[in-house]
Amino acid sequence: MKHLQYDEINYAELFAEFRNPNSGAVVLFSGEVRDNNKGRAVTHLEYEAYEPMANKMIAKILEEAKTRFKLNQAVCVHRLGKVDISGCAVVVITGSGHRKEAYDANRFIIDRVKNEVPIWKHEFFTDGTSEWGQNCDCVSNDHEHQHQHQHHEEAK
Amino acid sequence: MDKRTIKIVCFAGLRKYFGGETTVVVEPGATYSAVIDELKLVNPEANDVLASCRIAVNEEFVQPDEKIEAVDTLFLIPPSSGG
Repeated sequence: MKHLQYDEINYAELFAEFRNPNSGAVVLFSGEVRDNNKGRAVTHLEYEAYEPMANKMIAKILEEAKTRFKLNQAVCVHRLGKVDISGCAVVVITGSGHRKEAYDANRFIIDRVKNEVPIWKHEFFTDGTSEWGQNCDCVSNDHEHQHQHQHHEEAK
Repeated sequence: MDKRTIKIVCFAGLRKYFGGETTVVVEPGATYSAVIDELKLVNPEANDVLASCRIAVNEEFVQPDEKIEAVDTLFLIPPSSGG
């Protein structure tokens, strides 16, 4: 499966496609574009990835989650290119016999994807500036920090 | 053995400093950290971002203290910000 796409993500279709009769619980997380970040008004985002590596890493994270949480299904698709406000930037769907595993696995997958996979967000603001974002707040202890925390601002 | 020239592919915020790709010349037996050091000399303004970048070879991350493999191209990976 391809985990990156330039087209809009239709999560309702994905949800239906990956339905599994062994799953009593299916969790769908959609990461959507906010109209603000740290007090600044955002117009849209653009995503870029080192595509072959990102695709491979997402596939590996999903396989790991399936084994670790005994999932029946695990899906993750991330957008590339321009995503407007309220657009779906990333979707994660997890299904298992019972809800605990589906919830825990969903969180595990989205955290790993955000922190590790070579995908980058370029935020565009209403004042005409743009900035390459960085997810890590460096306060969380739920993952290893392999970097320093910083943002790289640039004029439009 | 001679020095060799390696192509460095840059992503996202790194392009501001190096464009989409650049080259560095490394000594025989050099480690990946030498590539980062060389790039800091090319553009000292990129020091902070370079300190938080990782290097990928053949779609796998490598460690800074490993010797550079016999490849022509390295991929310089800034901190992830997907999602």
